[in-house]
Amino acid sequence: MAHDYNNILQNLCHHLEHFASSGVEIVPESELIDQLAIDSVKLLNLIMEIEDEFDISVPINILADVRTVRDLADLIHKIKSAS
Amino acid sequence: MTNTINLEMKSLSSTIANLNVSMTQALDSQTSNELTIAVNPTPTDNSQVQRLADFDTLIAALEYAASGTTGYNFYDAKGSLRSTLPYRVLRQNARASARRLLGLGLSSGDRIAIVADTTTEFVELFFACRYARLIPLAMPVPVNLGSHAVYVRQLHGILESSQASAALANVDYINFLEEAAEGLQRLRWVGTLEQLEKLPVLDKALQANQPDETAYLQYTSGSTRTPRGVIITERALMNNLQGIVRNGLEMRSSDRIASWLPFYHDMGLVGMLMAPMVAQVSVDYMATQNFAIRPLQWLRLISRNRCTIAFSQPFGFKLCTLRVRDSDLEDLDLSCWRAAGVGAEMIRPDTLRNFAEKFAPAGFDMNAFLPCYGLAESTLAVTFSHTGHGFQSLRVDAGTLVDKNIAVRLQADGRKYNEFVNCGRPLPGHMVKVVDDAGQELLDLRVGSIMVHGPSIMTGYFNCPEDTKNTLQPGNWLDTGDLGFLLEGNLYITGRRTDVIIVNGRNIRAQDVEELAEQQPEVRAREASAFSITDANDIITIVLVIECRLTSVIDQQSLTSRLQRLVYMAFGVNCLVELVSPHTLPRTSSGKLSRFEARKGFIQRTDLADQLSVESRDR
Repeated sequence: MAHDYNNILQNLCHHLEHFASSGVEIVPESELIDQLAIDSVKLLNLIMEIEDEFDISVPINILADVRTVRDLADLIHKIKSAS
Repeated sequence: MTNTINLEMKSLSSTIANLNVSMTQALDSQTSNELTIAVNPTPTDNSQVQRLADFDTLIAALEYAASGTTGYNFYDAKGSLRSTLPYRVLRQNARASARRLLGLGLSSGDRIAIVADTTTEFVELFFACRYARLIPLAMPVPVNLGSHAVYVRQLHGILESSQASAALANVDYINFLEEAAEGLQRLRWVGTLEQLEKLPVLDKALQANQPDETAYLQYTSGSTRTPRGVIITERALMNNLQGIVRNGLEMRSSDRIASWLPFYHDMGLVGMLMAPMVAQVSVDYMATQNFAIRPLQWLRLISRNRCTIAFSQPFGFKLCTLRVRDSDLEDLDLSCWRAAGVGAEMIRPDTLRNFAEKFAPAGFDMNAFLPCYGLAESTLAVTFSHTGHGFQSLRVDAGTLVDKNIAVRLQADGRKYNEFVNCGRPLPGHMVKVVDDAGQELLDLRVGSIMVHGPSIMTGYFNCPEDTKNTLQPGNWLDTGDLGFLLEGNLYITGRRTDVIIVNGRNIRAQDVEELAEQQPEVRAREASAFSITDANDIITIVLVIECRLTSVIDQQSLTSRLQRLVYMAFGVNCLVELVSPHTLPRTSSGKLSRFEARKGFIQRTDLADQLSVESRDR
């Protein structure tokens, strides 16, 4: 389980590299908006990539409570474990 | 102020705790939805004679549509049919829910707020309100990362402004709604449709609606602090619908509609939910967020179900052009699409050309483009161009436009120009005029404020006499807040006045952005100015200029990044913050900040002179 989670986190950081402003270090505590500058259009692209990569469907209402990279990884992990 | 501070101190653990709650509910709702998988969508061909919106009220229209076989269909993220709602079933369910709503002790004219997710529940509740002679209002769903607190405040603002007596949401959003409902005395009941269905049906005959009564309130924009509800009567609604269905779209019985537009937006609610029903045609819906993530699904829906009418803001067409892969084109046949309506924000001709070019191999006909213009304050539609003729545009000299506010046809190549799309003529019974700052009517090709007069105009803003007075001017002329010019009876929009910023198809009031800044302890009232700049690639950025007394760089950075985050959470867009010394922002003689001048100053300071567009002008 822990292994899965770390995989997810690693994978997610990899995806985020394409979206975040260059030169920004991505760590689990990075704030998606403040530090990685993920705007609403980037977010949609990111969700599409996440859905394809992890084969899940991300319920949009839950994103209102996602702020950091770790929040997002936790969310993906939860959805994957539930399915 | 307190809210803002809480927002920042919100700990990760509370975030995760909230996540757990909504997670369980989201999964529950997914499972319960599985049970209602429908096999076939409602047909395009109807069993009854088509009547084109010749009804006195919305409910009269539904009573007629219910005797046919057409209706609404809802598709999921993968394009599979999730549920169908034939008009016949909608009538039944809405009537039953209406009696339950009346059982809550509500009286006619009470406002009912409903979170408008793209679901059968919302549609049933909306019509249930009308059967019960209650006034429904559609509330938005949250779209931004980390926007929990901002969203709750937005809902709270709407509930308060509308003085709603009951509020409903589906399981995905009921938590937010319950939070937003705290402290509101007038709110007698908050729940889901499932909870409502457990209540007893009041044994009381439903009374017929009257043309003079309010049909619904339309809350405009995603504004956070000062939401305004547009009051639309049954008469205005039915008038506008008739114009849309007969004159705008020239609907026929072979039409079928595909839509992803949100029901809390006037184009989604009036154009894509009510207009099809009053003409008894079937509609295929997908949720806005699913379109935004996978725009291809919208085109697939049109192709597969042979839809003939589909509307979008320019932003949606742009998203399709950007995000659909060439390899996806093979499976698409868009030759059935006869009316590709486009409106709700400034239309750039290149957005349409790029879309047409990309999707021509999939059978898209450029003549299908149907530019139109409208606003919630005029129910929905004001002008329509002709169906089947594509879009017409006019290239005008950019220099003369900025210097003299006159649109002069481009005479020679090589000069800088602006190209504007012809949005067509007013619907029957409506008039459009363009006036200068003194209210004097202008001749053709002179740019000024667009004013609208006619039977679709709102009664006013709910409980906002001052705003109503500013917007509805003598003789019942509606000040649209848009700028443009007329040419031989056709309307061309050149931009919005500086009080509204349009980003990604959403209207953001500059005042709301400024108020957000002024809520910060470091920022004083009337020391923030917000406006937008558009770069050469048409990318719109919000700029927030703040007069700031902070001397420490760390404090300045803290303010800048906090403002950026707050603007993002409230409006879903990045913003550029510039801190300037006190007394830098230009003021009018009455001491009011001038956004137009502030923008000019910003452009000079940052050396962006090329980007000074004609879009902004103060009043």
